[in-house]
Amino acid sequence: MSHSRMQFVAGKIVRNEGHGEIFYRLEAAVPEPVEFEPGQFAMVSGWPGNDPLLPRPLAIFRAGAAPKGKGTVEFVYKVVGRGTALLSGMHPGESLSLTLPLGRGFDLVKDGRLYWLVGGGVGFATVFPAAAALGRRRTEYEMFLGSRTREQLPPKEWTPGGSSPGRVHLCTEDGTAGYFGQVTDTIRERMAALSDADASRLTILACGPREMLKEIALAASARGAEMQAALENHMACGFGVCWGCVVALREGDQIAYRRVCKEGPVFDAREVVW
Amino acid sequence: MNPDLSVSLGRLRLKNPVMSASGTFGYGLEFSPFYDISRLGAIVVKGLSLAPTPGNPPGRIVETASGMLNAIGLQNIGVERFIEDVAPRLSDAGATFAANIYGRTVEEYESVAVRLSELSSLAAIEVNASCPNVKEGGMAFGATPEGISHLTARVRKATGKSLWVKLSPNVADIAAVAAAAEGAGADAVSLINTIVGMAVDHRTRRPKLSNVTGGLSGPAIKPVALRMVWEVCRRVKIPVIGIGGIQTAVDALEFLLVGASAVQVGTANFRNPRACVEILEGVETFLREERLTGISEYRGKLHL
Repeated sequence: MSHSRMQFVAGKIVRNEGHGEIFYRLEAAVPEPVEFEPGQFAMVSGWPGNDPLLPRPLAIFRAGAAPKGKGTVEFVYKVVGRGTALLSGMHPGESLSLTLPLGRGFDLVKDGRLYWLVGGGVGFATVFPAAAALGRRRTEYEMFLGSRTREQLPPKEWTPGGSSPGRVHLCTEDGTAGYFGQVTDTIRERMAALSDADASRLTILACGPREMLKEIALAASARGAEMQAALENHMACGFGVCWGCVVALREGDQIAYRRVCKEGPVFDAREVVW
Repeated sequence: MNPDLSVSLGRLRLKNPVMSASGTFGYGLEFSPFYDISRLGAIVVKGLSLAPTPGNPPGRIVETASGMLNAIGLQNIGVERFIEDVAPRLSDAGATFAANIYGRTVEEYESVAVRLSELSSLAAIEVNASCPNVKEGGMAFGATPEGISHLTARVRKATGKSLWVKLSPNVADIAAVAAAAEGAGADAVSLINTIVGMAVDHRTRRPKLSNVTGGLSGPAIKPVALRMVWEVCRRVKIPVIGIGGIQTAVDALEFLLVGASAVQVGTANFRNPRACVEILEGVETFLREERLTGISEYRGKLHL
């Protein structure tokens, strides 16, 4: 039986390999298959000792079935601090603790929408599962991937395929691959070229640096397009009890602090106080 | 034979000494996916105020060496919604639960206590006289024996429930503060709350917390907590609830050994959602291995 209910499980590393300049791909065997919504995440730890103390939030990249009713779950992460550095040094066979699946993922239920997926930096790891889900149900989409340089783009073979693969646009700030410039520049250009009718049925699904999300959110809102932004934050627990990861949201004429781990990580970009 | 894990906190008997610490366990039900929360000695829910509280702006937590700083600012749903929505579900789950309370004024503490007293399912009220992250309330009352005595006496008059007073370590003499709580009618004291700390970013030159300072918790504070619990146990006759960096059954046993009647597990819940129940199982296993019939044969038996 697979579970989409939150669980705390012991996992075993199957592989944990570096790719390109900065990405690691981690696969763990877990007791049973995991069902997740694209955009959901896991809290992951496994290094010995109390320092660093807290598990790290990682977007679920893929999950599948393994022999004997067991499951497998994959993550793509970037080394950004001591926790991810320690994780990157762990080997196949070593144990992990995982709490998953967590949070609220992308809302992909609407039909008749025009989908643009945007991944900035390691943000692609959060939007690829959404692309895969759209591809599986033959919904067309376009995907924009941005990075500083060519070596920091995801390996081509990771791009979701399926029966209806979307068109992928690469953007690099140094011009070594695809569009020469930031992903926000190309989004703004494409947005300006949209008809009003297309703009109103556009849904943008995005994950990446906060500045990138903010700029796209402003551009989307100016054209009446919808945007779902997957936010990141430091977290202690990941399942809604520490209240440490809040983001300010506009709710009517009030500002409320909502948990990235519980009410998010995917939020309606129009509500976020950028 | 199974050892007797039950403990007495004044008039209140708990089935075992392992509780969750306020602010680290939500309202309790969040942990139901991980285990049967009725197994715990008690659940202490997140600090409740008279009205819902929005809490501090983001920049609320920072990880530090073997610990973390928080400045959540007591964001909570307010006492009315707790009574209406949460308490019935905790009862349905079979959980024993206590409510941590705080106010901006002594009158607010009283009002929250009065309101909660009507809740027959509530086991105890824990007065938070020690939150370092809000300007009013908490620390303002908990910093001196006189302040704690006044607050405790007023809440004591407002409720017939078991009354615990949660103490701050950010004081000159915590045993004197504990004695003041005892003198004013507390049924138990719980300690320690977090230790005030700070973290800054050397490049951006800014504090890492929006509140600038925050409360340190986790294994980093355990030796300080253990020392303070030991000091307080030698000073007061009422039961002492030990809190501070407890992550394992061994940590919990150490607090019992220096005299605590029960323990609360806090930050460990963030890292391991099953921490409380694993600690409970570990304590039971230890007593069985040592062939002890109950907690009382071990509690306070430190050889000096």
